[in-house]
Amino acid sequence: MDYVIAVASIIGIHALLGLSVYVVAICGQMSFGQQGFFALGAYTAGMCTALWGLGFVPALLLGTLVAALFGFVVGFPALRVRGLYLAIATFGFGEIVRLAFLNVRYTRQIGDRVVGPNGAEGFRHVRWVFDGGVTGLQYLGIILLVLAVVAGFFAWLDRSKLGAKFRAVEEDETAAAMVGINVTQVKVLGFTLGGAVAGLSGSLFIHYSTYIDHDMVALPLAIASVTYPILGGLGSFAGPLLGTVLLVSITEGLRALAELREFIYGALIIVMMIFRPRGLIDEALAQRVAGWFRLRRRTEPA
Amino acid sequence: MLDAMEQLINGLLYGALYALIGGGFSILFGVMRRFNMAYGSTIMAAAYVSLIPFTRFQAPAVVMVLAGVAMAVLVGLLVEFCCFRFIQKGHELAPLMTTIGALIVITEAIIHATDAVGLRYPSPFGEESLEVGRFLIRPDYLAVAVVGLVCFLVIFWIIHRTRLGLAMRAVAERPEAAQILGVNLRTVNTLTFVLTSALAGVIGFFAAVTVGSARPDLGVFATGKGLVVMVLGGLGSLPGAIAGGLLLGIVEFQATWFLGATFRDIVAFLILFAILVFRPSGLLGSRPH
Repeated sequence: MDYVIAVASIIGIHALLGLSVYVVAICGQMSFGQQGFFALGAYTAGMCTALWGLGFVPALLLGTLVAALFGFVVGFPALRVRGLYLAIATFGFGEIVRLAFLNVRYTRQIGDRVVGPNGAEGFRHVRWVFDGGVTGLQYLGIILLVLAVVAGFFAWLDRSKLGAKFRAVEEDETAAAMVGINVTQVKVLGFTLGGAVAGLSGSLFIHYSTYIDHDMVALPLAIASVTYPILGGLGSFAGPLLGTVLLVSITEGLRALAELREFIYGALIIVMMIFRPRGLIDEALAQRVAGWFRLRRRTEPA
Repeated sequence: MLDAMEQLINGLLYGALYALIGGGFSILFGVMRRFNMAYGSTIMAAAYVSLIPFTRFQAPAVVMVLAGVAMAVLVGLLVEFCCFRFIQKGHELAPLMTTIGALIVITEAIIHATDAVGLRYPSPFGEESLEVGRFLIRPDYLAVAVVGLVCFLVIFWIIHRTRLGLAMRAVAERPEAAQILGVNLRTVNTLTFVLTSALAGVIGFFAAVTVGSARPDLGVFATGKGLVVMVLGGLGSLPGAIAGGLLLGIVEFQATWFLGATFRDIVAFLILFAILVFRPSGLLGSRPH
């Protein structure tokens, strides 16, 4: 049972990370730097509860806010580059954040433990969940609650005018600008939202694991976070959720495959890109499913 | 001051290795307009394989390099087949993603084959530093610089003096026009992969020699450096890659000297981010398309 809870918790946290890549991607920007926002959120939220004695909810909010702020700041230089160049630049950002935390030392002696970000040692003893007597199952509930709220927001975004603007910018920036969409606003908003969601994911993660170090937010996490929406699909917010559930449950659920996780991720990316470059739930499928519901509504008596 | 000068010289020599990695990236980008993120893992695979003839038969360095080149070409062709050939048109990011996939797959294959431990690498150039004037210079760095020079001379000869080079330049300039004039695009792409992969084989040996071991993180290391150098010099520009590589070598050695080893990579990525954002054409490149 503990094992199932652990896998489910990881799915919840990574699903948020997948959604953060998704929201940046649907306004036409592929980011390989979401792990940087994840790290910013995790370190901030960890410091809130472990060092500054703040509660859990303010810690989540502050972690999200700091990451969103960085997302906003990164959004502007990101406007100047696109496609391949943006992918490389965002990965550069992620690495800058990671290597910065390698050099950050801000510790305090609490009891017999050294608490706080401690360079290459990482950030240990974020024990709010344990000290507060929250069980694994309860914490899973918290994760899923947060995920439900965020997923609800994305469900709204997919159907909203704002979401349509996002998609328009992805499809053709010039055309979007011609019909009066503020492309700068949309793209920066995309990065801000992406940063916020990744930061929220990191804030939940550090309280789940009690520990984070710079190695945990390196290239493998970047690749995992991009693989979820790419496998699941970029046509609907359900895509990254499906991708996360599939990938994590395959690789974590079957113990024999845990060793080969990275291998499977790599091979899956190649296969998906060749056969279904927009993922399992692509725009065509999302439209068709949406169409069914519309039809049903129309057949109701007026 | 004297020490900083010494670091400058060593950085410049070591920069030749970065220039070679960036050169491999640049040639491929110039011809195919694609990033090959698996290039670093090609280099790493070559480094591991060139160790085999040494541990088995105490083979000399030349045999080691040749074994590495053979492996690299094999890996390169595999990457071309799996990651580039079947990509649907109009998906610009797809080859980037597939080669990242290949980077992971190759790295994981090596980790599983070697239990993830670094393997000690022999240095055929001795451990003693050479005294040149008042400076101490590492012999393996000097060898890297010499090999870098030779490799670039060969590459420039191929690109500017052979039919293949002509075809490559034609494809780089205008793929459709080149095709109309009878250039077989697929052949040129494949041969470009063979050329850059052979270069990766040479790089693999020297990268492992200078680091002192063959390690599973060599792939990501080389891909990272290659990207920085290519972006620094201008995408697809070979002279740019040389200038960018030497510059990165100097900057990294100075950063290590003045700020400490943990700041080395941060400086490199800060440069990458800044150049991409503020001067996407790089130091010597034309504007990106």
